[in-house]
Amino acid sequence: MERKQIAPAAYLCRIGAEKFNQCRVALHFQYPARRDRATADALLPLVLERGFADCPDMTELSRRLARLYGADLTVETAMNGANRVLTVSVTGLKDELALEGEALSRQYAALALGVAFHPYLVGDTFDPEAVEIEKDKLKKQLEAQVNNKRSYCVRQARRRYFGSSPAGIERDGYPEEVEGITPAALTQAYREMLRAATIDLMAVGADGDMLAELLAGELAGLDRQPLALAPASAMPRQEPALFEENMEMEQAKLCLLFTAGRPTGTEEMAACRLAMSLFGGSATSRLFLNVREKQSLCYYCGATYSSVTGTMSVDSGIQPQNAARAEAAILKELKDLCEGPITQEELEDCRRGLLSGLGSVEDTLSGLENWYYTEICRDGAVDSPAQARAALEAVTADQVRQVLRMFSLSVRYLLTPKEAQEDA
Amino acid sequence: MRNLTQAKKACSYSQTRLPSGLTVLVRPMPGYSTVHAEYATRFGSVYDRFELEGKPVALPAGVAHFLEHKMFESEEGDAFCLYAKTGANANAYTSFDKTCYLFTSSGEKAEASLDILLNMVGKPYFTEATIAKEQGIIGQEIKMYEDSPDWRLLVGLCGCLYHTHPVKNDIAGSVESIAQITPEMLYACTSAFYSPGNMVLAVAGDITEAQVLEACRRAGLTQPAPLPDARAIWPKEPLTVAKSRLEFEMAVAKPCFGIGFKEAPAPLDDPCREILCDLLSEVICGDMTPLYRRLYDEGLVNPEFGCEYLCLPGCCCLLFTGESEDPDRVRQLLMAEIDRLRREGVEEELFTLCKHQMYGRFLQDLENVDDACGAMMGSALKGRALADELEALAALTKADLDQALADMLAAERSAMVVVRPAKEGEE
Repeated sequence: MERKQIAPAAYLCRIGAEKFNQCRVALHFQYPARRDRATADALLPLVLERGFADCPDMTELSRRLARLYGADLTVETAMNGANRVLTVSVTGLKDELALEGEALSRQYAALALGVAFHPYLVGDTFDPEAVEIEKDKLKKQLEAQVNNKRSYCVRQARRRYFGSSPAGIERDGYPEEVEGITPAALTQAYREMLRAATIDLMAVGADGDMLAELLAGELAGLDRQPLALAPASAMPRQEPALFEENMEMEQAKLCLLFTAGRPTGTEEMAACRLAMSLFGGSATSRLFLNVREKQSLCYYCGATYSSVTGTMSVDSGIQPQNAARAEAAILKELKDLCEGPITQEELEDCRRGLLSGLGSVEDTLSGLENWYYTEICRDGAVDSPAQARAALEAVTADQVRQVLRMFSLSVRYLLTPKEAQEDA
Repeated sequence: MRNLTQAKKACSYSQTRLPSGLTVLVRPMPGYSTVHAEYATRFGSVYDRFELEGKPVALPAGVAHFLEHKMFESEEGDAFCLYAKTGANANAYTSFDKTCYLFTSSGEKAEASLDILLNMVGKPYFTEATIAKEQGIIGQEIKMYEDSPDWRLLVGLCGCLYHTHPVKNDIAGSVESIAQITPEMLYACTSAFYSPGNMVLAVAGDITEAQVLEACRRAGLTQPAPLPDARAIWPKEPLTVAKSRLEFEMAVAKPCFGIGFKEAPAPLDDPCREILCDLLSEVICGDMTPLYRRLYDEGLVNPEFGCEYLCLPGCCCLLFTGESEDPDRVRQLLMAEIDRLRREGVEEELFTLCKHQMYGRFLQDLENVDDACGAMMGSALKGRALADELEALAALTKADLDQALADMLAAERSAMVVVRPAKEGEE
């Protein structure tokens, strides 16, 4: 990957992708998240994805994409700690697979840049009709979060864990605020994003020179005042806070959130990856082998880690009457890894699985792009998957133990049926 | 569609039938560093009645899925422990019509991982104790699905459309049905459906055909194997629906709905029916259509509204699903649009665009090692090749689609399921 600055806080990243039938153009806008604009920022991708100045109608835009052999246009938003990222991407077949010799990749570039920099405006603001329709969609999307019990439980735990911290700003906004967003406020949020964001244009198997030129042209006409991104920060340690919510459901969900007390640096990534794999991130983990397989206390039980917020999350699906035993078993596995022996065999099993997984990163277009953009967002040295593999090879059991010892439980969230009775 | 030469090259792979009867598909993908393999049998949840050596066998719901879980165990232990030595990421799944065992590994460890896969599948080990333990784990999986409105909607819809066909049963069965499973049942299923002649091995990525065939030789799959005297039995299923409407409540925010149409089953080795189902879905309610736009703009559906189809032995249906405050209004508009398309015919430009889109998606699905393997395997299990599908797509005309509209999607063969939000204090 080659990252080149083409304007203040604007970069072109070229990633080779010769082996693929497709190419991908992705524009990432990263900027400090703001609580007061969270819902407008969440609505923005829905409105941008409907159309742009050159093709305002969403049905016509769908037809344009179909003409490009089903090219995929996506506009989405994600959180990176206390920063928000809006991504516009177009993925489609390479020119040589066009049935009638069309220059597809030029059209992908025009689409991605058109959607990002030339939205369809009525007067000075987004189309009021489109804004109203998408507000309704966002409201329904927020209401529907409860349908997926697993992700709902994790969301609820995260809300308690982050409280009012900037890292806890909701990616999808707040239901009670949707109604109040006006076309003018949404346009203001969009303009602020263009002004303040750090921009990375990823050319994956696409013509980087052409894209750099097009992006430089777009930026030349903008009033840009990029803001410094929010630094990584972790939640402080606290006494565990316990929450329980009742719902009509069959299987209970348990989410435990732990803080490391500080975000972890790039130099610790390899040890963190291996620690998560060993604790609960793989089929050879302690949580999988002991809590699920041996004790049959859950159907799934996995651990994940966010380096930018120093947060470890364990979520599991359990029988309601087993909640306390499952929680105790999860905490015991963590304690055993922190204080007890780690066998070379289990460590190597996990390491092999991770090495294999890191190898597969370069076998998909989205995997390649996600890898490098995640590395860029970490704000440290940008490692290739090969470098990450080399670092992983060197991690010791002691380093894994040191990583796991950082974590203390902050929040336990249990989503459970109303009549759940604890087994003796 | 012109110039299919490049596309055919992009979807090429080798196909070999070994003396054991196993079909082996290999797609070397230069420049890739991983290998994905899928080893699948034509045995899914709908195979619940069969004859083995002249004797009838009747299975409770969920046996194929249960057997999938158990296939990972041997007297020596768990296959996951063996895969841990190669670093492969292994898994398995059961659908209505197949059970598939798979792994992704590095190219260097692909042969060792293939050895594990080929030695594990078809050589099961069951005891009363291991079966009892699995009943507990699968019981929890069933509970998890019972909390999924989408899954319960699909099961409810199939239950409305079908009188006797086993597609109406949940793939995983129920806590009660899996309690009836015995070691004898599982061994009978293995004998009937896990013979190499009933199976397909598909491999894609950083590997050669010679390496895959050599792994098959090591596993004894190049030796002739006797074909079991087994025959799946399909119940007589009328074209009428069992029930035209079902409503129930769950903890959901908005009503979820499904509208299903029962169709005459079609030969599985002819890709035309599936392509037509796909095209029907696109021209009726895809995001290029007036119906989708109206439903979207009026706030009657969310962006996830869409249509999928099932083409299985003895079963074919189209299922429109989504979320809506007013599911009956959506049904009314859907039926009106189908009638309009029947009267006026499909717009020529829309038909061409849908074909273009399907062509692109077809090639996109061959881009990754796992997608490529899944596409090759799925096609081979139905007795066809991916190139057949590409050619069938290119050959389809608007007249074919207009004819499908005339023959399919009859209102009298439709059913509707609505999942309503549970009122406080009840489900």
